[in-house]
This record gives sequence, C-alpha cells and structure tokens, in this order.
Amino acid sequence: MSGSAAPASIDADALLAALARWCDAMEAAGPELNELDARLGDGDLGATLARCAANVRASLAGTPAVAPGAMLKACAQACAKASGSSFGTLLAVAFLAAAKAAGERERLEREAMVSMLDAARETMSARGGAALGDKTVLDSLAAVADALRHATPDASAGQLRDVAVDAAARAVDTLRARPNRIGRARMFGERSVGLEDPGMVAALRMAQAL
Amino acid sequence: MKKILNQPDAYVDEMLAGLCAAHPRSYRLEGDDGRVIARASGAVKGKVGIVTGGGSGHLPVFLGYVGDGLLDACAVGNVFAGPRVSDCQAAARAADGGAGVLQLYGNYGGDKMNFDMAQEFLELDGLEVSSVRVADDVASAPPPERDKRRGVAGMVYAFKIAGARAAEGGSLAEVTAAATKAAQACRSIGIALTPCVVPESGKPSFSIDDDEIEFGMGIHGEPGIWRGAMKPADALAQEMLDRLLPELDVGRGSRVAVLVNSLGATPHEELYILYRHVAKVLGERGATPVMPLVGRYATSMEMAGASVTLMPLDAELERLLTARADCPFWRVG
Repeated sequence: MSGSAAPASIDADALLAALARWCDAMEAAGPELNELDARLGDGDLGATLARCAANVRASLAGTPAVAPGAMLKACAQACAKASGSSFGTLLAVAFLAAAKAAGERERLEREAMVSMLDAARETMSARGGAALGDKTVLDSLAAVADALRHATPDASAGQLRDVAVDAAARAVDTLRARPNRIGRARMFGERSVGLEDPGMVAALRMAQAL
Repeated sequence: MKKILNQPDAYVDEMLAGLCAAHPRSYRLEGDDGRVIARASGAVKGKVGIVTGGGSGHLPVFLGYVGDGLLDACAVGNVFAGPRVSDCQAAARAADGGAGVLQLYGNYGGDKMNFDMAQEFLELDGLEVSSVRVADDVASAPPPERDKRRGVAGMVYAFKIAGARAAEGGSLAEVTAAATKAAQACRSIGIALTPCVVPESGKPSFSIDDDEIEFGMGIHGEPGIWRGAMKPADALAQEMLDRLLPELDVGRGSRVAVLVNSLGATPHEELYILYRHVAKVLGERGATPVMPLVGRYATSMEMAGASVTLMPLDAELERLLTARADCPFWRVG
C-alpha cells in the first residue's frame, strides 16, 4: 500500500497481505520486544507475539481472502490459542472487537478503520482495566485513531499508513517520560520513567508493517 | 531445586498424563494441546456444564474436582500461570450437555480476562454461558473492596455447591445463583511457613526466615497482612478466626462448613491441632461445624502452611454441601 495512487481503503486481499506482513514483523521484533519487556516484566512479550503471529499465519495459510471481519475473527481465535499471558489475550480482544466493528463490510474505508481502532481500544480498556495515560498500548491506539481521523480527506492508503506510524512513534516518545501505571510494570513506578513501554513499541512495529 | 521431575517444561503435561493413567474412569484429556481435563464419561446430556480453570500447582484445585456432583471440565495452565483462552473454550465445549455452561473460577485478573474472552467466543457460537468468580481470601483486600479479593480454598465449596445444584437438574440461572451464594458466603485466610519452588523458574516463590511466618499470604506467595515470629497453633487459629468471624453471621444455632486446608507440606497432624481450636471457638459461640474437611484441598505444591475457610449454611447450602459427589480426590455421601 505504498503507492500514492492507491485508494484510501483496503479490501480483503489487501488486508490478507497486510496481515502476512504483520506476522513477519511480529516474528522479527520478538527479540527486541523480549528485551524491552525484561526491564519491566517477565520478558516474554516478544515470544508471546511471535506465537500469536505463528498461529495467525497458520490460520490464514492457504485460505482465500474472505471478508475482512471474518479474517479478523480468525486472527482473534488464533491469538486466543497462543498463551495464557495477558498481552496475547488482549490482542485477541482487540482483533475480535475490530472484527465486530468491521461487520460485513467488503472494503475498509478510513472511517471504518478509525471505528475499528476505537472499538479495539475501548474493549481492551474494559477487559484489561487500563485507561488512557497509563502508558500502555491503549495510548498508541488512541494516538493512531486520532491521527487517522484528522488526516487530509484525500490521503491515500500509503499516506494514512505514514500518518499511523508517525502517531505511534510520537506516542512512544510522549509517554516515555511518564511512569507505567498498570500491570506488572506499575510496580517499577518511577523507575519506569524514561523507558519505552514494550506494548507501545509493539504497536509501533505493527503500524510499520501495515 | 530438588523436585521429582524429568524436564521442568514437561512438569504439567507429565503430571496430566499420570493423572489420567491413574484415574482413567474419571478423567480424560481434551483440547488441541491436551490442556483440558474433562470427565471420562463425557458431558452429561441435559445437565448444566460447570467448568473451571487456572494455573497448575494447586492439586486437587482445580482439575481434581472434575467428577460426579462437581465439575465437568477444567482448563489447565502452567504452574501458577493461567490457561489459554482457547482451552477455556475447549473446556466449555467438553462440558456442554445442552443446558448451558457456568464458568466458575478464582478471582485473578488474567483468568478473568481469559474467561471473559472465552465467553465472548462461545456466545458468538450460540452457547449459553454465565460466569461466577470466587473471591474468598479476606487477607487480600478489605471488605469494601471485596471484588478485588483473590480466590483460594473457598473455591472448593463453590465447586461443590454449584456441582450439586447442577446434578439436581437446576437450570443455568439456578446453578449460577447457587454458585454465587456459595462464593458470597465463604471466607478464607491462610498462613505460609515456607515457600514453594515453581519448576520452570527453579527458584523459591519468596524468601522467609526459618523462625518467621507470613500471615494472610496468597496461594502464589502474594504478600499477606504481616510477617513475624512463629506463634503457637492456638494463637494462629484464633487470629485467623478473628479475621474471618467479623465478616460472617455465626452465632447460637449457626451451622457452619469448616475447611482446615494444608498448603501442601503441612501434615494432617498440624491441621487437626488447628481444627481443635477452631471447633472449640465455634462451639463456644453455640455454632455447629458441619462436615468438617481437614486435609489437602487447595495447595501450593510443597509450601508449608494452612488456611481456614468458613461458610455459614442455610438449608439450601447444607443440602447441596452434603449431596453425593465423587472425584478421585474427594468423595461425599
């Protein structure tokens, strides 16, 4: 979706290709995310995401591109098989919320993408208990949704991707100076100031892959 | 680490294999990775299914209580780590006899998130599901924050009460109501004397001096209320009751279920020394212990320590508590 002439919407084939890149990116980011997570948690974030990616890849392998909502639901179920760890479950929560928001649509326009991101963030917040400002992946999703909402109306899909990456990167930078306020990282309190939140870095790597 | 095992990573799977080999008429493995324990005879047609799940390392909790008049299936995690969402789903499918499924488990954040997610998937597939969490550990949060409390040995009573109601033919709403009633009625508190070693890490779950105990510690080594010098058994039992009784209506004529539970290494002898004082205090109040349970019902592997659980009974709870039940770890009636 890097071509500037591409329309600002994605169909099932484009989503399938994007999910394949997402899997590659999560597997490639495994060591980096494990290392970031080891400073604040149990150091298994990269491994968890790599397992999610492997399951997503297996569940999509050989199947034709179906409606985006159905593919995202399959991704949710694939992540639910990955592990009992919280981030894997939250990823399943996010995929399923996005799948429901996508509904029966054949193509995802920008508005649909924004509402999928909002639905994912709201459901993850309700399930996981984190709020905006707690320095979690929720802050990344809110920043990306906001940036997409305010992008120029005629932005291409490639330009929207750049907007999303930029927003996810800025969210990491903005929150770096604050303490983690939820989860295991919370116990590090002020010592987490100055450290990137591993989940937010994961969100950045995801945006870069799309 | 000095443990009887082969590979730390194989601890849970080899335990499950041995359990099913020893009790083939009770348990069978389900799930794509063999991390679900279900009744060997399959789901009971027309009966509400009851599932639970949680980390390993607490036998007989959780999976041990799969049996007649008890649970139908259990999702199994690694030691002290929650089960996968997909295994919670597989447990519900194994338990589904066509009358709906109750998810009944301990109040831990990760487990709640996983069972909630499982419930959402199952409901998308048209299954009727309800959920009840047990939060009986009074040491883990004050009364106004009861919804933050952990689930510990009181889960055994919730399993028994809900299981009996389902075996009677209760609807999903009725079984859910019975489980909720038991979960709200019981209170527990524990003391830890020594830590346990999680096989995967090979290290003690916490450190404590030889002459110290931790009062109110959770079953994974979560911090308790105080840490200090060991005391005589009667003083410990009294202090545990002093934490439990103010939250319960126990007086003249009360009938109370009592569980004095070993966290693993503490022997029956010491549990009976504790029970002696608990029974004496209840008797002085004019209350009658009903079907006292003294033994290993909810453990933390080789941790030394004990917990006391009390559940005041009304006629319905007493009928369900004393109804017939049978699993390899526990038989009633």
